[in-house]
Amino acid sequence: MTHTFTCDRAANAVSFISTEILSHRLIARDTWQLTVSAPELARRTVPGQFFMVRLAQCNDPLIGRALALYDVSRNAVGERDAISVVYVVKGKFTQSLSRRSLGDKVEIWGPLGNPFSTLATDRLVLVAGGVGITPMLTLASAALGKESYGEPVAPSGYAKRVTLCYGARTAEYLAGLDQFEARGVDVRVATEDGSMGHRGRVTEVLEELLQQSNNSVRVACCGPEPMMEGVGKVAAKYGVPCEVSLETPMACGIGICFTCVAKIRQEDGEWDYRRTCLEGPVFPADKVVW
Amino acid sequence: MKTPMSASQPAPKDALTNESISLQVQLGRLKLKNPVLVASGTFGYAKEMAGLIDLPKLGGILPKTITHHARPGNAPWRTVETSAGLLNAIGLDNDGIDYFIENHWPYLKGTGADIIVSIAGKSHEDFIVLAERLSPLGLFAIELNVSCPNVSGGIDFGTDPVACHRVVSGVRNVIDCPIITKLTPNVTSIAEIAKAAHEAGTDAVTCINTVLGMAIDWRRQRPLLANTVGGLSGPAIKPIALRCVYQVASKVAVPIIGVGGIATIDDAMEFFVAGASAIQIGTANYYDPLVSIRLIEALPSAIRTLGASGLSEVIGTLKSPGSVAVKK
Ligand SMILES: Cc1cc2nc3c(=O)[nH]c(=O)nc-3n(C[C@H](O)[C@H](O)[C@H](O)COP(=O)(O)OP(=O)(O)OC[C@H]3O[C@@H](n4cnc5c(N)ncnc54)[C@H](O)[C@@H]3O)c2cc1C
Ligand SMILES: Cc1cc2nc3c(=O)[nH]c(=O)nc-3n(C[C@H](O)[C@H](O)[C@H](O)COP(=O)(O)O)c2cc1C
Ligand code: FES
Repeated sequence: MTHTFTCDRAANAVSFISTEILSHRLIARDTWQLTVSAPELARRTVPGQFFMVRLAQCNDPLIGRALALYDVSRNAVGERDAISVVYVVKGKFTQSLSRRSLGDKVEIWGPLGNPFSTLATDRLVLVAGGVGITPMLTLASAALGKESYGEPVAPSGYAKRVTLCYGARTAEYLAGLDQFEARGVDVRVATEDGSMGHRGRVTEVLEELLQQSNNSVRVACCGPEPMMEGVGKVAAKYGVPCEVSLETPMACGIGICFTCVAKIRQEDGEWDYRRTCLEGPVFPADKVVW
Repeated sequence: MKTPMSASQPAPKDALTNESISLQVQLGRLKLKNPVLVASGTFGYAKEMAGLIDLPKLGGILPKTITHHARPGNAPWRTVETSAGLLNAIGLDNDGIDYFIENHWPYLKGTGADIIVSIAGKSHEDFIVLAERLSPLGLFAIELNVSCPNVSGGIDFGTDPVACHRVVSGVRNVIDCPIITKLTPNVTSIAEIAKAAHEAGTDAVTCINTVLGMAIDWRRQRPLLANTVGGLSGPAIKPIALRCVYQVASKVAVPIIGVGGIATIDDAMEFFVAGASAIQIGTANYYDPLVSIRLIEALPSAIRTLGASGLSEVIGTLKSPGSVAVKK
């Protein structure tokens, strides 16, 4: 079922643009960073929000795909004027996109969805699995006060310290480590094969960290569902607030198709199907019925 | 340059400008300011689109189909992309008529757009109760969704001419506004169902709802949709929709609203020539959210291309195939 809006469209107009690719580079195995000129989106989008992206005038793939804001860049005079997304080559859309080059057109609309919260904390722990890394770079930058986002400008500098726990299959798939380190993020890695960092699961890295921590901590997480469920459980065990960004399949990203529903616990304790594009993608972990 | 005109005197064809082209259309008792509507289930409850589109510019808005009681809808996956199409089994996820009247209707009414409420019933009585509840609201029009492929029960009204006739005439008895009946292509003769709806007093028929289909992940040996089967929409079904419009137009004197894969001005014009008096945009709203407004803006010059002074001169002007071109 559907219902209330936590996303006020009239106040948060969606911009639809057709724009050229400014840069398109491989940053890890099968992982591309795509940058497009989009001044309005660059000014207005905040960490945790996403865009719908589509190949211009293309009927196959037909439907746009949701991609999270990865980074915002500024022009020579310091104005925010371009956005980046990062994607892993997986299926129909990402395969086609990876073959596009500079000057090719993409259609992109947003900003969409609700951001991560900006509550003050001693330590913000970001937990990413695979391509779930994408919303974390802007979130870390905002939390540490290295960059500000949104119009009007959203709060920044709300965490004293940011730690990233990042899990991937192998070291080859780890994307953007240097970018995180350059912004002052303390990075801890877990790989399934032990090719870098902890050998095993990222939840184990998180648990070790929470065991040792006695300050106020918050967790923000994005990755495959079983991993997010695990992270939610670990956070609950240590009494730490945790937000997850769901990656439910979407067809429109703007609330009109009812594809993207997830089971979200309501005030009466029962779950209800909610549109994640409109009421998420970020939810408190304890509200999600996995 | 705008040519002054009197209402009774049509402008000479060479003096036509985009501004002088009339986009108004009349379908039975239903009068539309322009022929581009947005299809039920593909425009949410309109509020979601308010930040993208100037809603009153649309010829009409059909909010998502409502049912008597709330329905949670099907489990995910609810949609799957296929070649140039989208397969869906949403399952009429909605909060029921009471919630609609209390929570969605005030907003919809306040938009200033012409709202056509879409309803679906599991039983004949459901349709009547829904129409009775909506009657006091003074609706612009109502669309009877007798064709949703994702709900058992609903589709029978769209495949059986007797059941369809009974529902349409039953609704006509309890509500005064214009009635549109939305038909399914998943029948042997869509014209036969259109005829039944017409005889029962529908003002127009909408052709078509989605085409029953399926998608499979062979590696996991499973259907991709949680509902196993679903309705196909998008450019992939346009030829089917056009054929349905043409078949109804050539056999039944009922005004037609064409829908199925429309995404460009050429698509739109093909439907008008085939016999549709208006069109609905569905899946294209998802991947090209401004499409409806763009088509409204593109219509006048497309109509002028045919030397017509208004849309009504284009509707149903399809000619016979004619002779094959001769090689020079
Ligand atoms: C809010 C949000 C943010 C996202 N951000 C990013 C991001 O920053 N970077 C990124 O790479 N991806 C992101 N995604 C995922 C992205 O939208 C695409 O799903 C992904 O890129 C795969 O698209 P594709 O066309 O390449 O694959 P597809 O061809 O769509 O398929 C990829 C895989 O998904 C399966 N699949 C196909 N259809 C469905 C369906 N209906 N439901 C479930 N699974 C299906 C296929 O079997 C296949 O294994 C995000 C998703 C959401 C909802
Ligand atoms: C995800 C989805 C949900 C739909 N929901 C409804 C609905 O609730 N009621 C209805 O009458 N039609 C519904 N339809 C059908 C459309 O209104 C339309 O008839 C069909 O998709 C064909 O047009 P298109 O190819 O332009 O999408 C739905 C279609 C899709 C793709
Ligand atoms: S993706 Fe269409 S409603 Fe969320």
